[in-house]
Amino acid sequence: MEKKAIFELVVEHTCAVIPALKSHLFQPEETLKELGANSLDRTDILDNLMESLSLDIPRVELFGTGNIGELVELLHQYTLKCS
Amino acid sequence: MTIAGIEAMNVYGGMAYLDVEALAAHRKLNSHRFENLLMKEKTVALPCEDPVTFGVNAAKPIIDALSQEEKESIEMLITCTESGIDFGKSISTYIHDYLGLKRNCRLFELKNACYSATAGYQTAVNFILSGTSPGARALVIATDISRFIVVDGGEALSEDWSFAEPSSGAGAVAMLIGDSPLVFQTDAGASGYYGYEVMDTCRPLPDSEAGDSDLSLMSYLDCCERSFQEYCKRVISVDYRTTFNYLTFHTPFGGMVKGAHRTMMRKTVKADSNPVAKADPAEIELDFKKRVAPGLTYCQRVGNIMGGTMFLSLASTIDQGIFDAPKRIGCFSYGSGCCSEFYSGVVTPEGQKLQRRFQIEEGLNQRHCLSMDEYEALLKGSGAVRFGTRNVRLDFDLISNLNLSAREGKRLLLEEIREFHREYIWR
Repeated sequence: MEKKAIFELVVEHTCAVIPALKSHLFQPEETLKELGANSLDRTDILDNLMESLSLDIPRVELFGTGNIGELVELLHQYTLKCS
Repeated sequence: MTIAGIEAMNVYGGMAYLDVEALAAHRKLNSHRFENLLMKEKTVALPCEDPVTFGVNAAKPIIDALSQEEKESIEMLITCTESGIDFGKSISTYIHDYLGLKRNCRLFELKNACYSATAGYQTAVNFILSGTSPGARALVIATDISRFIVVDGGEALSEDWSFAEPSSGAGAVAMLIGDSPLVFQTDAGASGYYGYEVMDTCRPLPDSEAGDSDLSLMSYLDCCERSFQEYCKRVISVDYRTTFNYLTFHTPFGGMVKGAHRTMMRKTVKADSNPVAKADPAEIELDFKKRVAPGLTYCQRVGNIMGGTMFLSLASTIDQGIFDAPKRIGCFSYGSGCCSEFYSGVVTPEGQKLQRRFQIEEGLNQRHCLSMDEYEALLKGSGAVRFGTRNVRLDFDLISNLNLSAREGKRLLLEEIREFHREYIWR
């Protein structure tokens, strides 16, 4: 999947968990934490992303991404690896 | 075939507690973040309490209820803790002495963060199942405290400490393991264990914790799924929704368990023949209230007691649940670092009656509610018993409202540390 499409998925799943962000213009430099997602919210978003991308990898593999752009980059690499 | 499991179980939640919402307000923590954590109270250890006193006070009612013959059948005493007081000498030696157990007994201590009590439980169960000493029993005691030592004039609050302080408690769970396990009969062999190296939370310094809450939550959820998958490889026809009447979890705080339960319900429904359907949120909420909430009642009042927390949740389920017939409980244990296990056992109506003898909830109700001033005084006083203290006489009047000097009772308290040796008194 293209990185742009993965970015759109991150936006979609984040808004599903935090509806107040539906009108927000997401930037790759932003972090989910800054946008108001607590640790339980963040794991919900990640779980939904992995399901959408059909990725069966441990969540800990996604730990350490600084911002949304870095998360998209890492997910993209995994989709290439797993396809 | 031999059966094994818990013949008696008791929880000791200390003598003093703090209202966690009051603590959060005092520390100016984000109240919105706080709501979904599902925490109410946490036990605070006094300086005259330590893992030995908690362990003895949990086990004594169990021992006192035994006949002399039953008491003399105890041939293994395992302490499960991450709050060790010595790198060589195990807490079990002190507990053995103050409970008056026979000397033909193995004494040792186990460690792997919050997994320790499950490790101890499985070790004891396998001792019974092996039949190498027919009729023998084992005593497994999970005992842990948290002390946040504050230096006068220092800046106490850091990002790391702010999430740990409201959830960290103190307490002990004692379990008598034998071959007449009415309280909890283990499903022998039905175990899914799963462990690997991850640096999520740890205690690298005496009296101090370090960690990353995000990484810990991710690892906990990974293990929740994968230990259950391992369980399913060994047991036929398992259905997460219907095989277990109740579910108990290692509970750092209630909100985390709620999230884990929701994840498991969604994933296990997806595994069914209809991969498109998702478990309905309303169905998940109802299931949480029915099967999981009873196990949170005591955890929300004591806090995270590390090794013993999963068994605290089990004790809560047994006391608070409905046992009009034998019922199966699914148990998930997780210890940072990490190791996890999903296993199961059956509780009988008789077992519930046996456990209710110990009136665990009543014990929690009798604790003194600390004011913030008393709590801050305790934080300052904790330095007197920091790890490695060589000599100290404990001040029983640090919290005057507890009136410890004047008490007469059957609780063990730490009176003095003399040349590193710990000496206790019954009060």
